[in-house]
Amino acid sequence: MKKNYSFSISDTITNFLSRPVRYISLGILLISVLFPLYWLAVSSVKVQLDYLKFPPVFIPTRVTSQNYADIFQKYGAFSGLVNTFVIAMVTAVICVFFGSMAAYAIAKGALSRKLRNVFGLWFMIQKMYPAISTAIPVYVVMRHLGLMDTKAALIIMNVSFNLPLVVWLMIGFFQEVPKEIEQSGEIDGCNMWQRFFLLAVPITKPGLIASAILTLVAAWNEFLFATILSVNRAKTLSVAIAGFISDRGLEWGPMAAMAVLLIIPPTIIVWMLQKNFVAGLAMGSVKE
Amino acid sequence: MNPIKSAKKRSGSGRLRSRSDTITTWAFLTPTFLILCITAFIPLLYSFYLSFHSLKINMPNAQPVFIGLNNFKMMFGDERFATACKNTVFFVVVSVAFEVVLGTMLAMMLSSDTKATRLIVSLCLIPMIMAPVASGTLWRMMLDRSTGVINYFITLLGVEPIAFLADIKYAMGSIIFVDVWRQTPWVTILMASALKGISSSSIEAAVVDGATRLGVFFRVILPLLRPVMIIVLMIRIVDGFKVFDTVFVMTGGGPGMATEMLPNFIYNQGLKYFNTGYSSAMAFVFIFFMSLVSGGFIMLRNKVDRDMG
Repeated sequence: MKKNYSFSISDTITNFLSRPVRYISLGILLISVLFPLYWLAVSSVKVQLDYLKFPPVFIPTRVTSQNYADIFQKYGAFSGLVNTFVIAMVTAVICVFFGSMAAYAIAKGALSRKLRNVFGLWFMIQKMYPAISTAIPVYVVMRHLGLMDTKAALIIMNVSFNLPLVVWLMIGFFQEVPKEIEQSGEIDGCNMWQRFFLLAVPITKPGLIASAILTLVAAWNEFLFATILSVNRAKTLSVAIAGFISDRGLEWGPMAAMAVLLIIPPTIIVWMLQKNFVAGLAMGSVKE
Repeated sequence: MNPIKSAKKRSGSGRLRSRSDTITTWAFLTPTFLILCITAFIPLLYSFYLSFHSLKINMPNAQPVFIGLNNFKMMFGDERFATACKNTVFFVVVSVAFEVVLGTMLAMMLSSDTKATRLIVSLCLIPMIMAPVASGTLWRMMLDRSTGVINYFITLLGVEPIAFLADIKYAMGSIIFVDVWRQTPWVTILMASALKGISSSSIEAAVVDGATRLGVFFRVILPLLRPVMIIVLMIRIVDGFKVFDTVFVMTGGGPGMATEMLPNFIYNQGLKYFNTGYSSAMAFVFIFFMSLVSGGFIMLRNKVDRDMG
């Protein structure tokens, strides 16, 4: 199916829903997305007394930065932030570097048709594996290797779960590179390394950026392995938030502040590179 | 076009490959293969090995003891395992149904490319990129029985406050609600980008033929969306089975076993009660089941690809 962009289309589709229905539904959508986020932001600056007020305080008249001070001083938000940042960045770099190389080999390399199909299928299935299924053996092995509570352990596991996704995405992007470009490279005497780094990589830069953002966000938000493999030194922000739940169920203030801290960086990155992000989502799921 | 299919077409060109290309191809693949072997396959095999053993990893120097199929026998007689399976399937079916229906409806409204729709899409990205732990805690705060803001709205309607997360009747519904809140935007974005790819001529032709609005949707738009819909369903269902974080922070599987999902149950058995062998056996059955689901979807997708030409 060829993509057929035309601008009358969307009106034809959307017009069949009457206007009021459309505005009301979009209004409900916006409220249901924005109100919880507003509530989180407000809760993170409320003073202690205002939490238990009834009716709830919707627009606080007293505002405090105490919760933010608390999470940095008492609850290790700073080391959490550093750990999360380092783990997400290193994971993204490794995944994009090795993943795009593997994808290029599968899309353009010298492989038989059968091998291509097998590899393509393999990465697709690997992408679907539930992380929990390897959690227990990984825990046992990491303990034996003395890698418990290290950033290295978390980087390794994040790479393991995001690499198939990057390979899968990049196969799609590399296949869109016209054959002629590859051939002209070959005629000019470029070997495969040169064709990859000098021709394919610059052309598929949007795809590489998309893979990097998707990996970055996934690794930033990762929780299962972070909670299994980190105790103290390698604790990430997601683990720090969950910590509030189990031991200090009612400290909404610092918890909300921690959640705000966790949400803001990926939101900024995705907003800055929204086109790439959406293209990555579409490529990863809707190959057409 | 999926990569597997297009690769088939390409290799028909029969280009001569130099030997150095073959070497480079494998050199490019090696790091990924190595990483995945060490971090995914070996643990998987180890998990398989452990599933026939009994091991308490909280004991120092504990050695795995071979117990044959006992873990599997125990699993199929374990009511908690059955409950966790039932909960997970229920959760996946209901939440994915809501997400796909709501997401498609919203995509229809957001498929026009105006400033307003772009802004709405940008805002809708937030729940999706938010860590599940963060959305879970956020909603836990809002759904709290005594201080939660949702219960305030409910009392305005004259209803008694509800303990959403502590009441067996509401806990599962709350988890599903939060998942729908988080994931619907994802479906919306994918469906909207698919809608933009539909050619307007087919819709206009139907309109000229006097089709009603609903007729256009069900007879023209929906069939054209089918391939995308299948992939969206596949990814959402597979991801749905991996639910863990939201349950972990919102209810911890409770009250009782009301929201205990399979991943949470496996986690608890393995890393809370340290029944490592038992937990590995369940993980293995889980993977086996997920492979069947994925395989079924891949076959279904290939069939649709063929049908659509």
